[in-house]
Amino acid sequence: MSIKTSILSSIGQKLLLATSGLIMFLLFLIPHMGGNILFLFGKDLFNSYAHHLHKLVPIVIGIEVLMLVSISVHMIMGIRVVLANRKASAKRLSQKSSKERSLAARLMPVSGGMIFIFIVKHLLDFTIAGEKAEIDMHGQTGYDVYGMVLDKFQDPVHVAFYVLFMVAVGLHLSHALQSALQTYGIYVPREGSKIKVVSTVIATLMAATFAIIPIIAFTR
Amino acid sequence: MSKQINLTLKVWRQSKGEAGRFETYEAKNIDTDASFLEMLDVVNDELTVKGVEPIAFEHDCREGICGCCGALVNGKTHGSHDRTTLCQLHMRHFEDGQELVLEPFRADAFPVLKDLIVDRSGLDEIITEGGYVAVKTGNAPEASTTPIKKEFAEAAMDAAECIGCGACVASCPNGSAMLFTSAKVSQYALLPQGHPERAKRVKAMVSKMDELGFGNCSNEYECAVACPKGIDVKNIARLNREFIKHGFKS
Ligand code: SF4
Ligand code: FES
Repeated sequence: MSIKTSILSSIGQKLLLATSGLIMFLLFLIPHMGGNILFLFGKDLFNSYAHHLHKLVPIVIGIEVLMLVSISVHMIMGIRVVLANRKASAKRLSQKSSKERSLAARLMPVSGGMIFIFIVKHLLDFTIAGEKAEIDMHGQTGYDVYGMVLDKFQDPVHVAFYVLFMVAVGLHLSHALQSALQTYGIYVPREGSKIKVVSTVIATLMAATFAIIPIIAFTR
Repeated sequence: MSKQINLTLKVWRQSKGEAGRFETYEAKNIDTDASFLEMLDVVNDELTVKGVEPIAFEHDCREGICGCCGALVNGKTHGSHDRTTLCQLHMRHFEDGQELVLEPFRADAFPVLKDLIVDRSGLDEIITEGGYVAVKTGNAPEASTTPIKKEFAEAAMDAAECIGCGACVASCPNGSAMLFTSAKVSQYALLPQGHPERAKRVKAMVSKMDELGFGNCSNEYECAVACPKGIDVKNIARLNREFIKHGFKS
């Protein structure tokens, strides 16, 4: 078995899926959530966070490139695996799934696709077409990122869109975290697994934290 | 106390190269002490008398050890009874007047041969790739020359319980043979006798499994629910570890 066949084997592809997913989770999702939480503490803190982030441009660009690679690997492997699995399972007319298969597991391709749509929309909203007013930040020119967020979330439809897509993030993560561990060979038991519980709790908390920002912005 | 029940069967009928269809038959006066296969025997006797071709199904030991039997009963592999092969499933678990849908084990890698019989030789091909150990021929070695820790011996025995029935593949939403392959890889990886071919085995068995068109495991665990031998997904984790350790070395 050559290295290439190993990488493209069923287990190799899953390792790539798990690894690219974990990179995005650890290097992007968690820091992003940390930053978002600052929004709750008001305009000054959030703007100064955005301002400092701006100074870290080389690191930010590094992470962005890594994200781009990870997202591409994740999507390519995800699509390959889903298509291969559709074919492999053949048509079953009477089959019933047991309770074993969680809704989150079932919806992985759907939630994954939704997250991709969301990322595109989110980038359009805040990075590409986000208009920020210039403000004075302790003698330097900064941007009112806080104001931009408030502005974007005045439309309830927009808020609802964000919240709905965070449900997809939560569902995706709840299966992804435990599944990645099992893929790395860490036994995740079928019944009474603490890893499964922790995955679900982390996923729910993260999704809720992300979803609360647009809701708070709307009410402010 | 045994009693007799009547059932309606909707059975998948298909000959090789033909499109299949469900046909409906009555199963009358079935003893509740009968096994599922004995019930099919009774139905087949009646069909033969009527000049209808009997329903083809696979069986051998009828003791739950050979792995030959199996079908989807009302959408569940081997029926829905916990840790039971179809041959060991008894008719007392069914009710008088119940309708049962019988479909073959389905997967792209398991083409239907006839009615409820599918070609599961893919599983044999995976075994051929690495389901063996090289030993010197001659007399059996002295049992205590190779001491094995109890926990390893037990885990290897648990993995070796797999009878190769294919229910894991048929219940998996991805048609994956990971539970089967993991049981076979584990049974040798856990024992010193299996170590010389360890690296070669895991690579060869996984690549055969992929080549034959079995799907990719996405940790849904349906297989472990369906397995009549209670093979645990712990073996899949072990297979993943084996592959991470040995799969990327040439
Ligand atoms: S793992 Fe279980 S379900 Fe799969 S082939 Fe072996 S005995 Fe059958
Ligand atoms: S006929 Fe042997 S296991 Fe059922």
